Order: sequence, then C-alpha cells, then structure tokens
Amino acid sequence: MIKNFWILLLGMVICTSYSFAQEQRFIDIEAGTYILGDTLSLDNPRRAVTLSHFSIAETELTNEAFAAFVASTDYITLAERYHNAMVFEPGLAEFRWLQDSTAYWRFPNGTSRGGIEEKMNHPVTCISYRDALAYCDWAGVRLPSLEEWEVASRAGSQTKYFEGVELDNIMDYANIWHGRNHLVADTTDGFLYTSPAKTFKANPWGLYDVYGNVFEFCEGSLARDQGRKVAHARGGSWWCSKNSCASFNSQYIGSVNPNASFSNLGLRVAKKK
Amino acid sequence: MIPPSVSSFPLTVYSYIQQTFNSTVLIIFKEKTMRTHVLLLILLFGFINAFAQSNEVDGSSYTRDEKGYELRTKMTIPPYGLAKVKNLIETITFKEDPLGSSDGGIEAISATQFKSLSLREKFTYVMIHAELSQQNCAIPEYQNDIQKRIFSQLETGFNEASWSQRQADFLMGNRDSVMKLIQESVVRSKRMGVNYKEAILEMNALEMIPFIIRYIKSTAQDNDALTLLMLLMKRGEYDEFMKSTSYQKLYGTDANYYSFLNYNKANEVLICERASRYYKEKTLK
Repeated sequence: MIKNFWILLLGMVICTSYSFAQEQRFIDIEAGTYILGDTLSLDNPRRAVTLSHFSIAETELTNEAFAAFVASTDYITLAERYHNAMVFEPGLAEFRWLQDSTAYWRFPNGTSRGGIEEKMNHPVTCISYRDALAYCDWAGVRLPSLEEWEVASRAGSQTKYFEGVELDNIMDYANIWHGRNHLVADTTDGFLYTSPAKTFKANPWGLYDVYGNVFEFCEGSLARDQGRKVAHARGGSWWCSKNSCASFNSQYIGSVNPNASFSNLGLRVAKKK
Repeated sequence: MIPPSVSSFPLTVYSYIQQTFNSTVLIIFKEKTMRTHVLLLILLFGFINAFAQSNEVDGSSYTRDEKGYELRTKMTIPPYGLAKVKNLIETITFKEDPLGSSDGGIEAISATQFKSLSLREKFTYVMIHAELSQQNCAIPEYQNDIQKRIFSQLETGFNEASWSQRQADFLMGNRDSVMKLIQESVVRSKRMGVNYKEAILEMNALEMIPFIIRYIKSTAQDNDALTLLMLLMKRGEYDEFMKSTSYQKLYGTDANYYSFLNYNKANEVLICERASRYYKEKTLK
C-alpha cells in the first residue's frame, strides 16, 4: 500500500513537471545542414553545420512559467542568495549597469523600480545561467546549443537578420532601445524594459522575440573563452541599440559570467524532437 | 512549419563555371598564338581562384588582425605586490563545481582584505582584477586591418567583468597617486595597456594628456591612445571637438561602437593638437 502511494506520488510529480514544459508551444526544426556564421567573425565563422531534429519554444520563458517552477521547488535563484544582480535605469553611461541587492526575478530592476505582478507574460529576467539550467532540469527541457539557436533564429536566412528584417523596420520585430544613448529613458516602441511575449512579429518559422526583449542563454563555448567557464547568450535585448552593441541579430554571441544575473538576460528552452 | 535544409547550390555553380572556363581556355589555346593565351590562361586561373575564395563555405576570406586585436586587449600588469595580490585573487575566482554549488559570482576580496592592502597593492589589484559582472557583446566587426583604424571606443581587457564602485572609488580617491603609478609603469614597460587607458578615462585624468601625447610620439603605433584622447575630449564636451567631423563620425547620430577614423599621420597630428588645446583650455582656466 505504502509502496503504491509513493509510486503514485512520483508519477504525479513527473507528470506535473512535464505539463509545465508542454504548456509552451514548440517549433519543430528539421534535421539538416545549415549555413551559419558571419564572414566577419572568428568566433562564429561562416560555415555549414549539420544538426539533428530538435524543437524550440516559440517564445522566451515567461515569468509565469518560472513562477510555477519556483512554487513547485522552492528554488532560490543566485541573485536572491548573493544579492548581486545587475540592473539598469536610464541615466547610466553606455554599458554601465548597477548592482542592486534587492533585485531578483520578481523585481528584475530592484524593488524601487517595480515588480512583475502585472508582467507575468513577460520573459523572466534577472536569472543566471545556473538558474536557467535548474529550470530546464525541472521542466524536462534544455537550453538550445549556440548552433540550434542560430538556425531557429535565421529561419532559412543566410544574412544578419531573418527574412523581412532590416535595421529600418526592426521596430516591428524586436523590443530594442531606440535612443541615441541610455542617458534618457526610451519608450519609442512602448516599452522601457521587457515586453509581453508575442508583442512583436514572429520570424518566418514562428519564433517570437528572437531579436531583442531578452538575451537568451545558450549552451556552447567559444575560442575566446580560452578554457574559462563562460555563459553565452544571443539575440540582443531591450537594452541594445544600433549605436551600442547592436546584438539584435543572428550572428553575434554575447558572454557573461555563468553566475551573473542581469535584467536583460533570460532564456528560450529547447528539447529533442 | 518545416524549415528547408541547405543545398550545395553555390558549390555546384562554382564547379560549372570553373569547367566552362577551362573548356574555353582549351579551345582558344588551339586557335591563337601560344604567347597571348598563356597570359590569358594565367588571368583566368587567377579569376577562378579569386571567385573560389570569396564563395567558400567552410571559412572566410576575412581575417582578423590577431596581433592588432591582442594589442587592443592587452593589459599592463603592475609589479607592486603582484604575487600577494595574485594569491588573493586565486581564492575568489570562480571555479566550476560539478555538484552545482558555487560562489554565486562573488569575485571580490573582503572589505578587510581590501583595506589591508597598501596603496600600490590596491592599484595592482584594481588593474588586474575587476569585481563586477559585465556583459561582453564582443562585436566581431572591423577586426581586420586594426592598425589602419582609430576606433571610437576602447576594447576591454576584463572580458565579462568591470570595476565595482569600490574599485572606481579607489581610483578617484587616489587620483594623483594612480596617475603617477600609471606614468611610472608606462615609462618602464613602454606600453599603455587597455586597463591603464580605462583607468585614465574612469578618473577623467585630463592632466595626463601631455604624457599621453608624448607616449604616442615616442612609442610604437598605439591607435587606442588616440582613441583615449578623443574620449577625454568627449567626456569634457570640448566644444572644438564636439563640432568636428571626427566627432560626428565617431559619436554622432549614426555612429556605433565600432565606428572608426582611418589612421594616418595627419589624423594623428590633428587629434594630438586638438587634445593639447583642450588640455591648455582646461588647465589655464
């Protein structure tokens, strides 16, 4: 009797874990050989890459999904444990962020800049690469590899952006920063920080926010890491502007300490097809 | 939605063109004089090779200027208490932990440890170790022919880190001493690493402009020292510089992180003379 009870409980836990992963719609990416990279890059040179079938979430992981994980596991993020999250507020010089001991995923830019109560459909941020892995473990998913992310974001294109996007019309596709610098708040596209998932147009394969909104953690290493453990993230974020890093494209690859939490860093999950 | 996989179309086209050229060359070779067409053959061979290089899939004709890039990111390591400081840093640097526990990304020595360092040791610590996490965009553009460009911004030597407030406060609070230590070190090593340039900028050390100009004139080409002069003028909102075409090109509406001026002697002289005027205006007031 007791043995049956535990088997039933275990089954329920497994089913619950998988159900959260399955709530998210996934896009199937066929196995094939794809042209990736950029002739200007040594870290990501232009090359042909052969990948197996995989599926990738159509949206970035939301606060709602992360909240379900925390409710189920009582997980405490690194930012909560070490009070070392990095936040942004208008007025900072280019590439400057503030360390805010009050910031974590429920208050991604610190308690004084508001919480996520009304933003449950926004991407989760202020989590580290380590936290992203913990979520994936629980949900039965994984981070996409650097190559998988690029294939999905390009949607068949071999240029810097997926088909239809140019610097002139990127406002239709991506939540990015349109100000000349970050000294003054920019809400040109309606959002200072993150935007709700699916606010902007999808790429030709149906993925939303592959450019802008939040940088998405990926798995993989680069020559420039020189053997150090570095987390990589792609796609640019709400902070990125054409005058600064301009990372909202399918080519650039960002780097960050695997334990660092920023309010423009999140994830998009993937899984085996 | 099924994404198409990539065919080998470009390579097929290349092979076809190469075969066509080869056939054409053979026909002409029979009909005309040998001398003329040996030349033609060489020209065509060269053309085909050039075509192949610009279309190859597994690489690129683009080459990063490795030496130039290394110079742009190279730091200068101060000698003051170096072994002691390195040992301290070793105790706080992130180590991969397969069990999942970690240091939480805290890469700063304790307040007590920091306080116990002498001024020179603190200088070494700050110059070789940044405590705060930073995102590194690592923009891959224009990393070829680096010596031919004067960029709008400096590279970073700290990868995914930047100075914490405590470290910035140390630089500002000990401005005169830090400037002196940097000068000593640069004179000795004949090199101004990117960490020194960042420190000069952090302190807005415009008093160092004459020293930087002397460094530019007496040292092997270091275009980032010219970038540093322009960043100091930009920070000081120097009117003459703000109205210049250089400013528009490097920091104007359409400029970006990798905007650059072409390096030539005239531009070097212009930047140095303008910075010199800026220095005089600021210090003679």
